Amino acid sequence: MRYELLIALRQIRARKFQTLLSVGAIALAVMVLTVSHSLLVGVTGELYNITVDKLPQVSVSPEEGEDYIYLYGTLVERVSSIEGVTAVSPFLTGQASFKFKDNSLNSELRGVIPSQENEISSIEEDMVEGSFQEIEFSRNTVVIGSKLAEKLEVNLGDSVDVSFPNANPLSLRVVGIFHTGSPLDEVLTYTSLDTAQQFYDASNVVNGVSVHLRDFNRDREVANEIKKLGYNAKSWTETDPAILRTIAIESTSNAVIYGLIVVIASFGVVSTLNLSVISATGQIGMLRAMGAQVSGIQRIFILQSGIIGLLGALFGTFAGVLIALAIGQYEIPADQSDLYGSISFIPIAVRLHDILFIIFAVFLLNLITGIYPARQAAKLDPVKAISSK
Amino acid sequence: MTDESTVIELKNLTKVYQNGVEFRALDNANLRIEKGEFVAIVGPSGSGKSTLMHLIGLLDTPSSGTLLIDGKDVTKMSDKERSGMRNRILGFVFQYHHLLPDFTALENVMMPLLIAGKSREKAKNVAEELLEKVGLEGRMDHRPGELSGGQNQRVAIARALSCSPAIVLGDEPTGNLDTKSGDMIYELLRQLNREYNQTFIVVTHNDDLASKADKIIRLVDGKITVR
Repeated sequence: MRYELLIALRQIRARKFQTLLSVGAIALAVMVLTVSHSLLVGVTGELYNITVDKLPQVSVSPEEGEDYIYLYGTLVERVSSIEGVTAVSPFLTGQASFKFKDNSLNSELRGVIPSQENEISSIEEDMVEGSFQEIEFSRNTVVIGSKLAEKLEVNLGDSVDVSFPNANPLSLRVVGIFHTGSPLDEVLTYTSLDTAQQFYDASNVVNGVSVHLRDFNRDREVANEIKKLGYNAKSWTETDPAILRTIAIESTSNAVIYGLIVVIASFGVVSTLNLSVISATGQIGMLRAMGAQVSGIQRIFILQSGIIGLLGALFGTFAGVLIALAIGQYEIPADQSDLYGSISFIPIAVRLHDILFIIFAVFLLNLITGIYPARQAAKLDPVKAISSK
Repeated sequence: MTDESTVIELKNLTKVYQNGVEFRALDNANLRIEKGEFVAIVGPSGSGKSTLMHLIGLLDTPSSGTLLIDGKDVTKMSDKERSGMRNRILGFVFQYHHLLPDFTALENVMMPLLIAGKSREKAKNVAEELLEKVGLEGRMDHRPGELSGGQNQRVAIARALSCSPAIVLGDEPTGNLDTKSGDMIYELLRQLNREYNQTFIVVTHNDDLASKADKIIRLVDGKITVR
C-alpha cells in the first residue's frame, strides 16, 4: 500500500467522531437523493406507461395536400410487418355535432375497426356501460364518453342525431359509454369505419393510421421506416413534445435540488479536513523532511475526502435502496386508487446504473472538494511547519 | 575541484529574509564538511544556526551562493528532486519529534522507507533493526502517546537513519529533554556516527555537548566565525 493511502486511512480511523459525522451527513444526503430519484424514475415510468402507452406512438397522416389515405389496406399490411410494431389501426375522423332533445354539443366522431383500435388505446378497459365492440356488429351505433353523455343527458340505448355541414346526417344509437378521467370523455366518440365513411360521405378511405409499438422509445426509428415506405409519419415525441418536456423539467429540477444537498454535505468534509491540516501541521512538515513531495501531501488529504465520500455514498445508497424498496411495497388503498389512476402500488424504480452513477459522482465530488484542504496542507512551508508543535 | 571525501560544500551561501526589513540570516557562508564528521553548530539564538541547518537540509532555498551536496549543486533543483534527495541522503531529528500519533513506533520508523517506495516487509526489517539499535526493542508496537519524551526522540533518531542517509541533521535534538536523557541521546548519536560512518551535523546551544564533536562551527549574526 502506498504511504499516502496508509496515512489517509489511519487518520480517518483516528478521528472517529468527525469521520462518523462527515460520513453520516453525506450518507443522509445520498439516501434522500437515492429515494427521491427512485421515486422519480418510478413515477416517470408510470406516467409514460399511462400516457404514452395509450397514445398512438406513431401516427400516419395523408400526404401533403391530400384529405385521405387511399388504399390503406396495403399501408396497414406493410406497417404491420415492421419489427417492433404490435398494432395498427386505421381510422376516419372529423368533427360532428351531437344533438339529443334540446342539448347540442360538438365532438370528434372517429370511425375505427374496434378490435384494432382497442389494441392502441385500450379503450375497452375504460368502458363503464355497454360494449365497445358493439359498434362493429350493429350499424349506426356510437360509443361516447361519460362527460358528453352527462351533458347531452343521454343514456345507453338512446339515439342521438349527428350532423355537420357537408356531412350526411345520421341517427346513432349509444351502445357504450367510456370513462378515462381525461378531457377525452367529452371530445371523443367512436363509431365503425363504415358508419364514419357514410357520415363524411367518403369512399373506402381513412384519414389516419395509428401505430402501437412494443417499445415506445423506438418511436422515431419506426416513424422513419414508415417514411421510407413513402408515407407521412410522425412519432409521439414530435406530435406530443409537451409530455416529454414536462417530465424532463421535473426530473432536472429534482436532480439539481438533491445534488445541492450532497454538495453541502461534502463541504462539511472540507471544514473537518481543514481542521486536521492545522492540527497535523508539524507532522506534515516532518513528512516533507522525510522526502514526501508536495503532491504526496496533497494526495493524503484528497484521499481522505474521497474515502469519506465513498463511505457516505455506499451507506447512503444502501439505506436509500432499502427505503425505496420498502416504499414500493406500500399498497395504495383501493378507495383512494382513483386519485392515482390505475396505480395500485407506489411506483419505485431502483436502477443499478443510477446507483453506481450516484456512488461514482459523490466519490468524484469529494475528491474535488478535498483539493482545497489538500492545497492548504501542501502550501505549508516545511520550515515553519516543523517549528510548530 | 571538490575532493571525494567532501560531502557538503557551501560557497558564499547567503539567506536574506525580507519581512519589511532586510535580515541577513546567513551571510556569505563558506564551509566544507567531510564524510563521517560529527559537526556541532553553536551560537546565540538568532545567529542563523537553524537557517544553515534548513538550507543544508533542503527545506529552504538560499538567496544567493552555491550549495553542493555529494558534489551536486542543489540550489536549482525542483521540489521533486529535492524531496527525493531528502528521502535518500538526508535524515532529520528535530527538537520536537513530530512522530505520526496514529502510527506505532515501528510504523513511524518504516515511513521514510515507504515514502521511498520500499516494500512493507523490507521496511519492517530495517525498522526493527534500528529500533533495537536505539534500545527500544520492547516498545515497537507502542504509539508516541504511550512513550516518554526520551523514547520518542530515540524513535525519531531511528526514523532519521532508516534510509541509510549520508547526512544526519539534528536541530537541537536534545533541546526538549532533561539533562540525563539529553546526554543519552547525544551519546547515542555519537555512537551511531562512529558505527555507520555517516556525517552528523547537530545544532546545539549546549557547549558541553558541542565540545565532544569533531568540529565546531560558531555562528554570530549569520557569519561563520570559527571553523
